[in-house]
Amino acid sequence: MHLPDMQHPPLAGNACECRLTYHDGTRRLVYCVDQEEPFPDGRLIVSRTNLGGFITHANEAFITMSGYTVEELIGAPHHILRHPEMPKAAFADLWTTIASGKKWHGYVKNLRKDGLFYWVYATVIPNVRAGVVVSYTSVRRKPSRRKINEMSDLYTKMLSQERAAQ
Amino acid sequence: MKLNFMVAPDFSPDRFAGWHMVNTLLQSRSGLQLHLLTPASAQEQSELLRRDAVDLIYANPFDAAHLIRDLGFRAFARPMGKPDEMVIATAAASPLKRLEDLRPGSRIAVTDNRDVKLIGLRLLEAADLTDKDLQWVLVETFQAGARLAIKGEVDAAFFLAEIYHTLSRITRSQLKILIESAIFDITHVLLAHQRVLSEVPAIMAALAGIGQQAADHEVLDALGIPKGFAVMQEEEAEFMVDLMDTLLD
Repeated sequence: MHLPDMQHPPLAGNACECRLTYHDGTRRLVYCVDQEEPFPDGRLIVSRTNLGGFITHANEAFITMSGYTVEELIGAPHHILRHPEMPKAAFADLWTTIASGKKWHGYVKNLRKDGLFYWVYATVIPNVRAGVVVSYTSVRRKPSRRKINEMSDLYTKMLSQERAAQ
Repeated sequence: MKLNFMVAPDFSPDRFAGWHMVNTLLQSRSGLQLHLLTPASAQEQSELLRRDAVDLIYANPFDAAHLIRDLGFRAFARPMGKPDEMVIATAAASPLKRLEDLRPGSRIAVTDNRDVKLIGLRLLEAADLTDKDLQWVLVETFQAGARLAIKGEVDAAFFLAEIYHTLSRITRSQLKILIESAIFDITHVLLAHQRVLSEVPAIMAALAGIGQQAADHEVLDALGIPKGFAVMQEEEAEFMVDLMDTLLD
């Protein structure tokens, strides 16, 4: 599914511009603002996708944090939240892990509709019904500042390696 | 046929009468004989389950996963408007102002409510704290945890939110909340063992009907579930179990 280009965030004159290419070959222009939206205390962000990674359920915290409406999220690919500062290797690991029926954990920097970002600690599990994987559930929790700093440094290195290899 | 109906031991003591009232109503309206079991601890609950002595159970979400996936229970109802949330609180006079002020080595009062501890541990990740970083002080009741926190014998205490908010006003005035979960998707569930599934429609009809007669509200208020119960589909329960699974580590 081809996502439309992001609209330039109205309140962010200094937004950086980037054209992302997703795993399915589709491309999208996104804008990033160097401003973090804090993860809401006490909440969990919950979503569910079908086997193709298209969103079928989003809880209230997901809708609020993403900045999109529920109508925009349902049916959209989960990579609608992909931040350009996330290395592709992290998502490749996610999909390889859950496709083999295992649980995946990882720290993710997400891109909001308004260009701001938010960090999560994500767990993705395959939903097994009668022995068959039918969908995936993703639950995101609030990460500590120490882990965010650590992962931010790691992802910066991974990203520069990926760019150098291109 | 007599069915054993067990209620998980994590309700406030003042709800005890409410469960007996519900049990009486369910019996009279379903025509089934129900024997109410109210184990005093998680260990006692486990022992009853091990003896295969339970037909119906009002289970906490942590136990629901094991009951559904491993022991052959099936969800059929859940309380409406009553998600399971937890509170981490400290003494009102404590220098701690927010969750991130807790440090490794902090003493935390905790009951044997595994779902409360699990959710609390997930919230503490934001403070960079794990199970092994903390000193756990096991207490019998949430009220005992509140007393330890007020006296400064622990840095904080874990509470089932519902119980925290029913503590006396004077107790709550001596505590302050560091964080309260707002997950919404996790609730207790009513489960039936496979061997009694044929009885579920009669029980569900009686359960869903509680609240439709004027006097029923007294029962639901006594139970702390004023909106009553709603049907829970199997997939809704599976979704909640999947969600709990993501919180295990």
